Amino acid sequence: MNDASATTSATISPPGHRMPALWPLLAHQVGYQLRLLSRTPRAVFGSILMPAILLALRLGRLDHGDGAIATQVAPLIAGLTVLGLASTAYVTYASSLVAARQDGVLRRWRTTPLPAAGYFCGRMVATVLLAEGAAAALIAIGIAMTGMHLSAGAVPVLVAVVAVGALAFAAIATALTVVIPTVDAAFPVLAVTFYPLVLLSGAFGSLSTEPGWLTAVLSYLPAQPLVDAVTGALRHAGGVPPLPARDLLVLACWGAVGLTAAVRFFRWEPTRPPHAQTARPAGVSGPPAR
Amino acid sequence: MTAIEVRRLVKQYSAYPALDGIGFAIAAGTVTALLGPNGAGKTTIMEILTGLARPTSGTVRVLGVDPQRGPREWRSRIGVVAQSNGIDLQLTVTEALRLFARHYPRPLPVAEVLDMIDLTGDAHTRIGALSGGQRRRVDVAVGVIGRPELLFLDEPTTGLDPEARRELWRVVTRLVDQGTTVLLTTHYLDEAQHLAGRLIVLVGGRIVADAPPEQLRTRDLAPTIRLPLPVGASFAGLPDTLAAHRDPDSGELRIASADLAADLATVLDWARRNHVDLAGLQVGSPSLEDAYLALVADPAGSLL
Repeated sequence: MNDASATTSATISPPGHRMPALWPLLAHQVGYQLRLLSRTPRAVFGSILMPAILLALRLGRLDHGDGAIATQVAPLIAGLTVLGLASTAYVTYASSLVAARQDGVLRRWRTTPLPAAGYFCGRMVATVLLAEGAAAALIAIGIAMTGMHLSAGAVPVLVAVVAVGALAFAAIATALTVVIPTVDAAFPVLAVTFYPLVLLSGAFGSLSTEPGWLTAVLSYLPAQPLVDAVTGALRHAGGVPPLPARDLLVLACWGAVGLTAAVRFFRWEPTRPPHAQTARPAGVSGPPAR
Repeated sequence: MTAIEVRRLVKQYSAYPALDGIGFAIAAGTVTALLGPNGAGKTTIMEILTGLARPTSGTVRVLGVDPQRGPREWRSRIGVVAQSNGIDLQLTVTEALRLFARHYPRPLPVAEVLDMIDLTGDAHTRIGALSGGQRRRVDVAVGVIGRPELLFLDEPTTGLDPEARRELWRVVTRLVDQGTTVLLTTHYLDEAQHLAGRLIVLVGGRIVADAPPEQLRTRDLAPTIRLPLPVGASFAGLPDTLAAHRDPDSGELRIASADLAADLATVLDWARRNHVDLAGLQVGSPSLEDAYLALVADPAGSLL
């Protein structure tokens, strides 16, 4: 029988129950992703603990009698904030997304009534919240250890900058998962892009020996504008600082590029390892079916 | 009512068809098993029916809807248990069930599902700390939490111990009793025979049999003599025509006999003279496994 039977096809009546509203589902997705992040030691360490420890160590070595401390603290906090943010929104985000794809979690969600955008919104909003929390913790440590003044008006700008930065990194990370087949392959791909980017952008302090051309290139990559924007907001003396339009524009462009590439090329299905590709039956040539 | 309707379905990977123009219809409230060797196209069918893969050509309707265009309401009416677990190991069993239950308009109560899969005692255990069999049960639980009208089970009991398999069979049977339509793939013929009222056998992307288990088992095959033998057993005195029927894998003498009385007398005489233990001797109509293996080995003898 290589055609359908004569049975008449009929749409089975839907049960008539109302579908759950989307906004509460999105909120639950955010909670779900935050729960996963909080139970992933690598995420907590890379996002909060490592930058906080590095900040405490660096601040402890500063000469508190030096009048220039105020000018040193802001870029230090900004650099480590970006280190934590990139660790959260880029490394952890991409590697956990690849793991979810490899383990069939993405496939599972695709068969549920949750819209695809809802899954990614949950992931991205959770990433933004974690990045915001990590930035707040670093700034609090800076204030506690140095007495640095933070203008109340700078807070909303910092929140906006960190949110846009986290979204930009997450969008790039989503697109990058297209070329990362497995979790094992994730670390080399992410490390080779993450470390040069954050180190050259001043996550561990300014590199005064950078050639001019490199400085110009870095200003168009996502980390340096983020460091500059956070530094500017932290240094602002009073009132609401102006929005760092140029830096936000660069970040938004990276976010848009990442999002466009992700929408176009993202794969929900895991890469099938060679040992899972089964042979066709005897006498049937060609690639394996499933 | 028809739950699934497939017409002239083709799925090609590169130039070669994984599914080669197959068609079938499945009535609501029934259990159908897809059987076939690895690479036959079973999982490809499941992926197309659940909207995870796009067919190259052909028509597919699941609950009256093209799976590629299935809206949220349609997805709320199907349940899928894929081969991989697909649940975050950091969640507890209860957290996972609650998380997925929220997406459905009338989910089963979490406590009821925990009881159904016999994991009430591990309700607050992280899934990563469960055994493989327990994780598989959680996987099934998440698949049914939305009270699906149509449940897809892709090798649901692979890797489970016999007791866990039978427990899952009871879960499936209970769902079917409540009106759920089930389409499953499996490599276990006893599972297919136990659960399904209809078997569709695929070989090389084509359907070679579509029949109830009993009809498939009793198709034109000769009755069988089965006798388990120890390793290195002597065949002296047994005619070559019968000795050639020893299964090299199991060591079992498995004779599809055209003359049962004569062949059985020969085997009994040989066994008596060679002091062969007859405790495992079985004589009767062929098993479903015999029929399946014969069909897969020679798809030309199809049963359509």
